[in-house]
Amino acid sequence: MTSEPLVAFDRVGKRFGDFVAVEPMHLEIHKGEFLAIMGSSGCGKTTTLRMLAGLEAPTEGEIRLAGERINDLPTWQRDTPMVWQSLALFPFLTVRENVEFSLRMRGVGKAERRQRADKWLERMQITEFADRNVAHLSGGQRQRVALARSLVTEPEILLLDEPLSALDAHLKVRMQAVLSNLQRELGITFVYVTHSQSEAFSMADRVVIMSRGRIEQIGAPQEIYRSPRTRFVAEFLGSSNVFAGRVAEAAGGGIRVETPAGTFAAPLGELAAALRPGDDATFVVSDDRMQLSGSRPESGNALEATVLAEEFVGATAVVHLEGPGGEELRAQKSHDELARLTLSPGDKVWMSWGPEAGHVLPGG
Amino acid sequence: MSDFNRSAPVEWGLRAYLLLTFAFVFAPIAASFVFSFNVDRFPSLPLGGFSLTWYQQVAADPLVWEGLRNTLIAGITVSVLATALGFGAAYTDFRYNFFGKSLYLALALLPPTIPVVILGLAMLAFLANIGLSGGIHSVIIAHVVMCAPFAMAIIRLRLSQMDASLEAAAWNLGASQWVAMRHVIIPFCRPAIFAALFITMAVSFDEFAVSWFVSGLNETLPVKVLGFLQGQVSPKINVIGTFVFLTSMTLVILAQILLMKRSTGGKAGQ
Amino acid sequence: MTASDRSGLAAGPVPARREMPGQARPAGAPAPGRARKTVSLYGLTFSLPMLLWQMIFFLAPLLFLVALSFWSVRNFRMEPDFNPDNWSRMLGRSVFWEAYLRTLLLSATAAIVTSAVAFPASYAIAFKLSETARRWAIFLMVIPFFTSYLVRVYSWQIFLSDNGIINALLAKIGLGPFPMLNSNFGTMVGYLTLCLPLVILLQLFSLIFVDRTLVEAAHNLRCGRLRTVFEVVVPAARVGLTIAALFCFILTFGDFVSPLYLGGGDPPTLSILITDTTKSGQQWPRAAVVALVMIATLLVIAFAAVRFAYKERGR
Repeated sequence: MTSEPLVAFDRVGKRFGDFVAVEPMHLEIHKGEFLAIMGSSGCGKTTTLRMLAGLEAPTEGEIRLAGERINDLPTWQRDTPMVWQSLALFPFLTVRENVEFSLRMRGVGKAERRQRADKWLERMQITEFADRNVAHLSGGQRQRVALARSLVTEPEILLLDEPLSALDAHLKVRMQAVLSNLQRELGITFVYVTHSQSEAFSMADRVVIMSRGRIEQIGAPQEIYRSPRTRFVAEFLGSSNVFAGRVAEAAGGGIRVETPAGTFAAPLGELAAALRPGDDATFVVSDDRMQLSGSRPESGNALEATVLAEEFVGATAVVHLEGPGGEELRAQKSHDELARLTLSPGDKVWMSWGPEAGHVLPGG
Repeated sequence: MSDFNRSAPVEWGLRAYLLLTFAFVFAPIAASFVFSFNVDRFPSLPLGGFSLTWYQQVAADPLVWEGLRNTLIAGITVSVLATALGFGAAYTDFRYNFFGKSLYLALALLPPTIPVVILGLAMLAFLANIGLSGGIHSVIIAHVVMCAPFAMAIIRLRLSQMDASLEAAAWNLGASQWVAMRHVIIPFCRPAIFAALFITMAVSFDEFAVSWFVSGLNETLPVKVLGFLQGQVSPKINVIGTFVFLTSMTLVILAQILLMKRSTGGKAGQ
Repeated sequence: MTASDRSGLAAGPVPARREMPGQARPAGAPAPGRARKTVSLYGLTFSLPMLLWQMIFFLAPLLFLVALSFWSVRNFRMEPDFNPDNWSRMLGRSVFWEAYLRTLLLSATAAIVTSAVAFPASYAIAFKLSETARRWAIFLMVIPFFTSYLVRVYSWQIFLSDNGIINALLAKIGLGPFPMLNSNFGTMVGYLTLCLPLVILLQLFSLIFVDRTLVEAAHNLRCGRLRTVFEVVVPAARVGLTIAALFCFILTFGDFVSPLYLGGGDPPTLSILITDTTKSGQQWPRAAVVALVMIATLLVIAFAAVRFAYKERGR
């Protein structure tokens, strides 16, 4: 990655009247990276993407593409092709004509147009459909047409707005592989908006998590998964146990947090460095680090919880439990281990984890 | 509806009633067709015998030809103007939101709800006052007012079938607004545009009330028919009626075929 | 995707736009159009022609009618004036009020009769026909719109006159002749000719959208077949049924052909009054008075009908 980012959002914000869609944000997107912007409905992720595409004007701040301010450039003068959720293929044009469209708009001659389009049709393995009406293609084929249409000008960046959301699960996984490979081979930047955690985490180099128009965390998938920086992210990812409480003690590289479910210890991480005893804090521990046992373990963090239900998730299962203060808790276990424990709803069980497994965030 | 919700007498009763309704609606249309070939001047049963007399009389009547000429000139001009205005308004409604939009839409869509006598009188008085009454142009002006809303409705319907991101996708691929209009919006709307041309032409073809007020001496064919109606019994009306019916139906069926083609317009492969 | 994420769907490129992104708006977002309203040549090219045309040739004539109603006529010439004479003369004549009452009654009767005649037909089309048959029925109901109303009225003259087709058929079985032309009956036949297809189509479109599970639920709750029609189907389609009746009222209120050529024209209706007054010389200002009274009446009726159609029950 170079020091000069390909795209820079500098205090870029967007409001519709009194409604703030995107709060002023900083974001740098590097050459050749696969960046996923993720969040739930209405978090501002698509607005962010549309501002980059030139389909929405920021109400404040500056967007730079390769160092140039592009705020006032209409979308047809930017080279930021986008793949729409609906794909937005032109129904009155054939597959080839769709792919040739942007070349035609740029005044590329007929012969060259055809040759360049054919190259992409072949690359996307849709040559055989070149003269078909786009309405007669399957979902996956339409997807490939949309990609070819956006990539035919060989842009430096490709924007994707939930392009896979209309596909069935199996096709989704296949198209994910197609997209990942394409991005690696082309070496261009992909900015991918999605609400799906699995899409974002399996493809992206870096993930941006947004909520209510604000960036909550930016980082590599593993980093976000292991150490969510805010309570929102921890809860959004859905695989963490979250306890709200107060700092009881912070000294010597460790921190102890007092919560209604008990007092737990964790290493003193960078986020919690400024915390003092008495401050509000949130204790987070991932569900795959949770141990379950019939009796209280001798050391480490532990609490007694009530089993609510088991959820079958492929090779593993998730046990949903309720803590003493009514906390919603979860533990991810292998089926073998669960078979040994023989849990049924209503049973009391001890949950425990080592001191290194949890981490502490400032604030309730 | 469930299987238990059917009783044979009710079913057949309703069907018979429906047939009667259609009979009532089509009786006058069929009668004018039949009597246009009947030899008697005073039509009654039994039919007097097949004849093309009335067709010959109509063909030999210079007034009819003059009326037809005026109708055609007005119809064609009206359809082009009304469709152009309707397209613009439909696109405006599709794409823009602005202060006073509901007033804009009301102005664009209300004319057909105003009774034709009132519209006719208002047009006559207004056009006479600015020196524009009594010609084919007066008929054209009035008919565009009445037809543009139909054109707008037809094209707006088509636009609402369009994926709204299609236009943005064209911009995103390097088309300016004007170019996207030419390469995306108009091709997408093409069937509806032709349908609007035919429907507005058909409406203009049949309109008699407002034309009667404003046309002065340049009467259109329907106004001539109104004249015949005021005079004595004349089977010529049946002939003209049959002719106008066939013309209008051709236009409507053409429009219908175009609208049926829907989203898969244009160049389907294989 | 969400409302706010999608808010820019119909929106265009950023510069030179005179609107906010269209269509779906996030909850709490204000009405569009406050921020950045730059008028673009592109937008005006499409929006302006319709606006100008309808302002000049639709709105202006209607407004001119108001001015005209105060003009005076001297020596068979109209002169701009502010003279309430036309109003007092017209509204002071009993002939006018008789015509007014008669027109109102005829149109109200037409709205009720047409709705009643149309309902079983539209019900049958909506609930009893197959998809294909329904499409054909709709197509057939559209045809009359493209046949000349005048020609159809003339045809009815052939059917209804004293020695017309119907009386000829009746004579064969020793009945009649019944005078049918130049009566209220004749007018009503003409009004039905004018309105029936439209009313059936409008009723049909509201009946098609009546949720079929409502009907099943009613039956399930022991509501009989006929009762379900009146207790469930009609209320559920109320908007469409009311609007259909309203259209029938508006159309017949302004029609002068049926009352004249099938109803005999004596005593006249308001529309006949307008055509007579206009075509017999220069009494346009008085015709304008009649027209304006008609518009006022229609506005009141339309407003009341729409209020009734969309009235919610309960709070």
